[in-house]
Formats: sequence, C-alpha cells, structure tokens
Amino acid sequence: MAGNFWQSSHCKQWILTKEFLLRERNGDLQVMGEVDYQKLMMFFANVIQSIGEHLKLRQQVIATATVFFKRFYSKHSLRSCDPLLLAPTCIFLASKVEEYGVISNSRLISVVSAVIKNKYSYAFPSEFNYRIHHVWECEFYLLELMDCCLVIYHPYRPLVQYVNDLGLADNLLPIAWRIVNDSYRTDVNLLYPPFQIALACLHMACVVQNQEAVTYQWFADLNVEMDKIIEITNTILKLYDLWKGFDEKGEIGGLLKKMPKASLSQPRDGKGESSSGRSSASITDQ
Amino acid sequence: MAKGLDPNMDFPFCHDVGKYERITKIGQGTFGEVFKARCRKTDRHVALKKVIMENEKEGFPITALREIKILQLLKHDNIVDLIEICRTKPTQYNRSKGSIYLVFEFCAHDLAGLLSNATVKFTLGEIKKTMLQLLEGLFYIHRNKILHRDMKAANILITKNGVLKLADFGLARAFSYTKTGQANRYTNRVVTLWYRPPELLLGDRDYGPPIDLWGAGCIMTEMWTRSPIMQGHTEQRLTLISQLCGSIMPEVWPGVEKYELFTKMELPKGQKRRVKERLKAYVRDQYALDLIDKLLTLDPKHRIDSDDALNHDFFWTEPLPCDLTNMLSQHKTSMFEYLAPPRKPTTTAGHHHRHPNAGATKQQPTDPAYDRIF
Repeated sequence: MAGNFWQSSHCKQWILTKEFLLRERNGDLQVMGEVDYQKLMMFFANVIQSIGEHLKLRQQVIATATVFFKRFYSKHSLRSCDPLLLAPTCIFLASKVEEYGVISNSRLISVVSAVIKNKYSYAFPSEFNYRIHHVWECEFYLLELMDCCLVIYHPYRPLVQYVNDLGLADNLLPIAWRIVNDSYRTDVNLLYPPFQIALACLHMACVVQNQEAVTYQWFADLNVEMDKIIEITNTILKLYDLWKGFDEKGEIGGLLKKMPKASLSQPRDGKGESSSGRSSASITDQ
Repeated sequence: MAKGLDPNMDFPFCHDVGKYERITKIGQGTFGEVFKARCRKTDRHVALKKVIMENEKEGFPITALREIKILQLLKHDNIVDLIEICRTKPTQYNRSKGSIYLVFEFCAHDLAGLLSNATVKFTLGEIKKTMLQLLEGLFYIHRNKILHRDMKAANILITKNGVLKLADFGLARAFSYTKTGQANRYTNRVVTLWYRPPELLLGDRDYGPPIDLWGAGCIMTEMWTRSPIMQGHTEQRLTLISQLCGSIMPEVWPGVEKYELFTKMELPKGQKRRVKERLKAYVRDQYALDLIDKLLTLDPKHRIDSDDALNHDFFWTEPLPCDLTNMLSQHKTSMFEYLAPPRKPTTTAGHHHRHPNAGATKQQPTDPAYDRIF
C-alpha cells in the first residue's frame, strides 16, 4: 500500500507537539521526573525490540509496534495500562497491520515469557503472567486510543531514497539506519514527519563518516525547515548522552518501583456512562 | 476488566456508537452486520457495520484491520466514504467485550438490489454511467496498489444522486509487483464464486488487478441480463467459463499449463469463444459487447485494464453516459440485495418475462448445463 503521508492519519492526527506531550504526561512526570520517564521508555523500547527479534519480525513491524506503544502513553498515564502487557499487545497488533500475519496465540505468549525470563529477569523477577485474552482486551483499548489510525510511516523508506540520491548508500546507509533505529527511543516519531527524521539521521551519519563536505551542497539545496532537522538531531544526541549514563540493569528495578501502576480498585460506578452512553441502549450489544 | 488495565480508564478517543440511532438491518458484510442508522445530533443517515468479535481467535480480526487501513487511505468519489469509527464501552453487560463499528455514508441502493427490481430500468446511457464510475473506482484503487477481491453487484452501492461507490473492502488487501521474480502467495479463496476469475479457479496465488476486472465484466453483463451470469458450483465453474469464453488452453492463455490444477482437472476441450455470440441476445450494443469481451478475457495478462477500459469507444459514442439521478428519483424506497427476494431461478420465476427488453430474444439458452443465463 503506497499511500500518501500528507493525507494520512499519521500526518493529520498524529504529529503532536512537545507542549501536548508534557501536558498529557504531567501526572506521570510528577511521580517520576522527565529523565526517569525517558529511561523507562527506552527500556520498554528495548523489550519490544527483543520480543520482536525472537519472533523474527521485520524491523518495520518492530518500529510500528514501538510507535503504537508511544502513542498509547502519549494520551494515557502509565497507570492506565501495565507496559509489560501493552508491549506484546503492540507487537501483536503491528504484525497484523504490517501484513506480517497473525502471530499465533501460544507462540506470542511463550516467546514473551521466554524473553522476560531469560533476558529481563533482573527487571521482572516473577514470571510473565498475562494470557492471550489479556492481550486481546488490551488491543481493543489500543485501537480505541489510536482512533483506529493504523498506518505508520517510518523514516526508513525516505532514508533509502535520499542515500541513493546522494549516491553514497554504501558509506552512509548502515550508520544512518542504525541512528533511525535508535530514534525510536525518543519522542521524535511522535513529533516530526518521518522524512525530517530521515534527513536528520542522514546528516548525523555524514558527520560520523566525514562526508559533510561532499554532501554540503545536497543539504543546502533541500527545501526543508532546517531548524526542525536540528531539533531532531539535538534530541537524538541527548539520547546518546542519557544512554551512556544509564545503567539499565542497576537502575530498572528502582524505576519500575517508582512507576505509576494500575489501581486494583473496583470500577467507579457509572463513571464514563455519559448521557450518550446511556441513550445507546438500542445499539450496545448486551 | 483484566489485570494490568486501569478499571477507571476513559474512552475519549472514539465516539460511542450511541450517537447513532439504529433504524434497520440492510446487509451482511464479510465480517459483520450492516445497519442503517441516523445521527441523533445531525439527522444524517449512515450505515453502521459492526465488527464481529465473537469467537475471534486472532484478537481484532485482520480483515477488519485491513478494511479500516484501506478505507482510511482511499478517498474518492467512487469509493464508499468511511466517516468515523465508533465503539461500545466494555461493560459487565457485554462480558467486558466492547465492539467496534465502522460508520459509512449511507447509500440508498446496491446494484444487486436495483437489478433484481423489475421496475428499475437502465437506459444505455445510464448503464454507461454506471460502468464508467465502477471503472473509475477500480482505476483509483489499483493505482493505490489495492485489490478489492470481492467484486459483485451487491458490493456496488449507488446513492440516490446516482453516484456509484465501491464498498465492502473486507476482503481487500494491498498488493505489490515483486521485483526478484519471486511469486506472491496470496490466498486464492477470495471473490464470491460466481464472479471468480479463471486464474483463481485454477489456484493462482500470484494474481493482481485483472481479478477485479473480470468481476467488472460479470457485473457489466448483469446490467442487461439482470441476474448473475455463470452461476454454478465450484466444479462447474471452469466448465461454464469455457462454454462462454472458449476452452482454456496454452494457445489462448500462454503459461496456463503452469497451474497444477490445469493438468489435474478435466476441462472442456474444443470449445469456441462465444462471448459476443451468446450475449448479443441481451446486449444489443456492439461497443458494449466488445468491452465485455475484453473484460472476460481468459488470460489475465491480456485482460483489459481499467485505464484502457475507460478509453473504450463504449464510453465515447452516442448515447453518451447519462446521469442516474432522474431514473432513481422515480424510486422512493431503498433497494438492497439483502432486502430483496433471492435471485435464484427457482424462487424468482421467469425473470425473462419481467424484463421484456432484455428477455425478448430469439435464442433462449436451453442447455440444462447453463444455470440461469448460461
């Protein structure tokens, strides 16, 4: 499906602003602080990556799952859904959306259990105890939250196009590609169109490979908002700084403890039953 | 509410389907029921399609995900318009299972409903306008790399203003032309049987847009015959097609021998292609016959595509395509296949008598092997 980014729900509904993110996350940030929040998100992006790799998914599926995950917490508190349940749910949905096929129920649960046990036991000492019906239920909330906006555009495709246009694919593509992978540990894919992220990552790759002089004119000829490219670059550079000082194994236990959690209380009576909800008796399936 | 989820979570993002008042059931889609409904606030009429979740072993059905994805991508006059997606709230009453509804613009009729009603008469110009819009829709979806995969008269909607809309993308999917000579492996269990093209009946899994154009050819013929041509069971299908389009053989379809089923099945030999000859009793316009002949080409590689079909003389000779609004304004009630009496030969007695224009023919097909029209 080719599609057009400019007419997509991704472009029209899902390019958010920093102010929006700060406002929506305010509750969580009061509990955790911005740095710890980002560390936690980095950790769960890694969890999604590991599960995806064990399921032998394409990077595009993993990237879509990661964006779904970030979209959910851009509008909901960490309290509303356990990220350990949301992570496999995002993978389950992304695999279908990206036409990678339905991951069988037993395979999903067994792979996630194995990854959590073998790779992340330092973070989750007890076993993974969600079952497939939890995933299905969570999937509904995820779809609802995204207003069923399913098609995600990634920086990978424009990136390949740009390096080919530059004629420097061999030299630049592997590094730029890795920087794009890393960019999913930040909020840039919630804040900027994918082509801008691709350009920022490409430019960073040029700096790493000492190709700035050769590519200077190519970048100068671009008709793009360079300040956006610089913002993206700064965000990714900040990520690398944070990463250097992040002792995941040592810190994650504390972070998870601090994280706001789903309350175990009973549902509040009548909450959410708006007048429109009540008048819908004719249509709700009962 | 499952563990891990906040029982007090709000649902502010999709509207509750209660904003619509259900009026009547109008259809049964590939993955759910369809209702006519009215927006309580704006009075606008819509069609609600419920995504069936019961007994779903794959979570939210992939067919529904595809339909949503594809309809969000496709925006065209001749493609049904997805207005929004609504939900019901998971409550104790529905065992914590919320439902998702697709909300479409309401179209007054579907083509199967119109064709099964003897009082609805299409002029040649109106048939041209119908086919023109159908092919415009196909051209648009194919350019966007989407296959419909369920072309049939019941999935062609017509608004009261005569605008045709391709609908029911529940079987649709994106396709790609493979680069490295590696074949695609799509399922061949698509398209309602009567409209299924020969390559699918032979088990092809690397098909493309021509499958939808075969369906367009069947639907175009139906504009005159008023009921689906070539109705038959699975085993009969290729025989019926051979009797109309000629024997399936490498001489007319180079490469057909690559299909395992081609060698395995007993296919009629020595049949002459008689599309024009057979259909001229119904279709008395030579350009129409020629276009049908090109749409019902056995070899998908040589079947006419939507672009060439739109350039066909049929659309550019008098009488020119003519708006359907006037004709439809004579009919006050909605016509849907779902609400119409079944179009089976046993239950709708003598459709030829009901359509003197189409049925006044010299050669009535009499061979019992021909179900209905053939």
